[in-house]
Amino acid sequence: MPHISYQNREIAFKLVYYGPGMSGKTTNLIQIHKSLPKDLRGEMLNLDTEEERTLFFDFFPLELGNVEGYAVRFNMYTVPGQVYYEASRRLILQGADGVVFVADSQPQRFDENLESFHSMSENLRDFGIDFERYPLALQYNKRDCVDPIPIGSLEKELGLNGVPVVEAVANQGTGVMETIRNLSRDVVQRFQL
Amino acid sequence: MAETGYESDDPRVILETLVDRSGAITTLLITKEGTTVAEAGQTDYLNTTAMAALVAGMFSATREVARMVGERQFSILLQQGESRHIHISLIGDSEMMVVVFEDYQRIGRVRHEARRAGEGLAKAQADRNDNQQVAQDLSVPEFKEYALNLIDRIFADR
Ligand SMILES: Nc1nc2c(ncn2[C@@H]2O[C@H](COP(=O)(O)OP(=O)(O)O)[C@@H](O)[C@H]2O)c(=O)[nH]1
Ligand SMILES: [Mg+2]
Repeated sequence: MPHISYQNREIAFKLVYYGPGMSGKTTNLIQIHKSLPKDLRGEMLNLDTEEERTLFFDFFPLELGNVEGYAVRFNMYTVPGQVYYEASRRLILQGADGVVFVADSQPQRFDENLESFHSMSENLRDFGIDFERYPLALQYNKRDCVDPIPIGSLEKELGLNGVPVVEAVANQGTGVMETIRNLSRDVVQRFQL
Repeated sequence: MAETGYESDDPRVILETLVDRSGAITTLLITKEGTTVAEAGQTDYLNTTAMAALVAGMFSATREVARMVGERQFSILLQQGESRHIHISLIGDSEMMVVVFEDYQRIGRVRHEARRAGEGLAKAQADRNDNQQVAQDLSVPEFKEYALNLIDRIFADR
């Protein structure tokens, strides 16, 4: 459920980038932030840096625009990848209206992708979310690496059907917009009052 | 219940009363997902959107800490600085009230007013049914159509 305020005439969705450490979640967010017109984007908080290990996430608010007198906002978050941040990943995921799973296409990272995906789906289930009907977009990032894992291999292993998949090289901007477009369309399409 | 002066269904009015009575600099009401519901007092020095996201994260982390010591949650967080301090309290199950104040001598007053404002806010929250009210003036199919258009435009490949 997005956060809906009648008083402020505002509908705010929460979108979260999830995935193993170093798969390119922050890079996705930075690329989106960079490509948006200045009046639509709030300042980006990057808290997942070397110096700020104690903090938990990257975040920026995106003003989608006015729809029928309501300001529509997407609050965009990434989770930290490190294993010891499991608690904060859970917390960021809470209340999310949709998730982009950023997978790392490097073959040696295959199992980390699976592991991270399982922790995500377990957390969502704990929140009472029917995972089969939840907005999810899958991104195979780092397609520029040597011998990338085949598209379809993660879905097969995870038993996923009908999830929109995008190939990306996030640090070059490739596939980044298509991914967020897929997810946000899905989120809006499932919106109800 | 005796009148406390915090009877209002508008959270902003309650926050403004709180600023007046406690001498706080800023008050914010935020959701546990990290969005701002209402604000009062000075806000120009503060990125309230970022503040809301961070406080929500902080509160969540504290809840995990509470669980570790066998508490469901800590209902109040107090952060004491050199010249500015923050009092955060849980409102109902889903919102938090942040009070920024300067004079630490006034902590007693801040606590007292925050508690009463919190009661007013919790009641306002319980009485509010945003979805129903919004449903009255928003057509969902049209909303979706507009929103999808915006998405395609804003997230176009560049
Ligand atoms: N070669 C390559 N590097 C990438 C790609 N996407 C991100 N990176 C790099 O991978 C590293 C980790 O990215 P980051 O976004 O911080 O990962 P996060 O831990 O998921 O947030 C950074 O050095 C990025 O520049 C990609 O598609 N290809
Ligand atoms: Mg990151």
